[in-house]
Amino acid sequence: MHEMGIALEILRIAGESVPDGARIERVAVAVGELSAVEPELLAAAWEAAVAGGPQAGAALEIDWRPARQTCAACGEIPERVPGSWLRLCPRCGMPLGIEGGGELDVLRVVYVEDAEETDGEVA
Amino acid sequence: MSCETDARVVEVQRRALEANEEQAARLRNRFAAAGTLVVNLISSPGSGKTTLLEATVRRLGASLRCGVLEGDVATERDADRIRALGVPAHQILTGGACHLDARLVERGLDEAAFGELDVLFIENVGNLICPTNYDLGEDFKVALLSVAEGDDKPFKYPAIFSRAEVTVVTKADLLPHLPFDLDAVRERVGTLRPGGTFLVTSATTGDGVDAWCGLIEARLRAKRNG
Repeated sequence: MHEMGIALEILRIAGESVPDGARIERVAVAVGELSAVEPELLAAAWEAAVAGGPQAGAALEIDWRPARQTCAACGEIPERVPGSWLRLCPRCGMPLGIEGGGELDVLRVVYVEDAEETDGEVA
Repeated sequence: MSCETDARVVEVQRRALEANEEQAARLRNRFAAAGTLVVNLISSPGSGKTTLLEATVRRLGASLRCGVLEGDVATERDADRIRALGVPAHQILTGGACHLDARLVERGLDEAAFGELDVLFIENVGNLICPTNYDLGEDFKVALLSVAEGDDKPFKYPAIFSRAEVTVVTKADLLPHLPFDLDAVRERVGTLRPGGTFLVTSATTGDGVDAWCGLIEARLRAKRNG
């Protein structure tokens, strides 16, 4: 369950990315197939991370990034073996080249600057 | 709410684990300045990390200044086992967390006050999944796999066997009693980590421990000679 720690880091980075007092509507993250992060667990951890806090209700959008597997002989290998990081081509048994899939990034934050309304700081 | 129209978008493009990565980079600089080789040991609970470390410091402890950081959810048991051999050890208690991160290692090091070390072993919390993502500033990761766990483990937990530069099979003295296909494991690990080092050990009989200790000594020499 390292997803909880990751959810808190995403929330911290998102908070640093918006003006003080802004309300975060949603945070887009990229989660690669080879990042060792389970999207469903990350989504559940996010709910817990924002619950009861100033960003309660902020949504997490997970952009799932598959790894691209290429065989020197067979080319791109679209078929996947669930839950596995195959390094051998399922057609010919030769080693596969792997590109991408390691992403674990905060991409962008959608927010509303409504500090005046919520904090009553209207001049 | 009507504020949907007021929504703004800010592009961020930052690594979610950047804080750990930055802290790990600071640790790596600290270890480089001290000339300390740092080894991060990762396995399931019960694979024999502490037992291999006991055999390791028995052999290396006379010639090298070794220290051990022990990560566990609870108890000082592992650190006590290492200290009983006259080697300094410090227990990091995670209180339920499933892995060590660079912050815990830095704090543990400061609390331990080991002084100058040639080799620091970090025994991660027994877990094949979560420690995979957390750089601790180590020189390399070691994945341990005991023969009692089954020979399909590298494919069931591929991330760690892909990221570990060294795989150590442990409890090899049990091989005659178990349906564990050592050649198949060697081949599987080779497909997950082409060019990695694969060692077979038994801390009970001592088989393979010299090769493992020789690897540590060679890596320390290589680190110090640039």
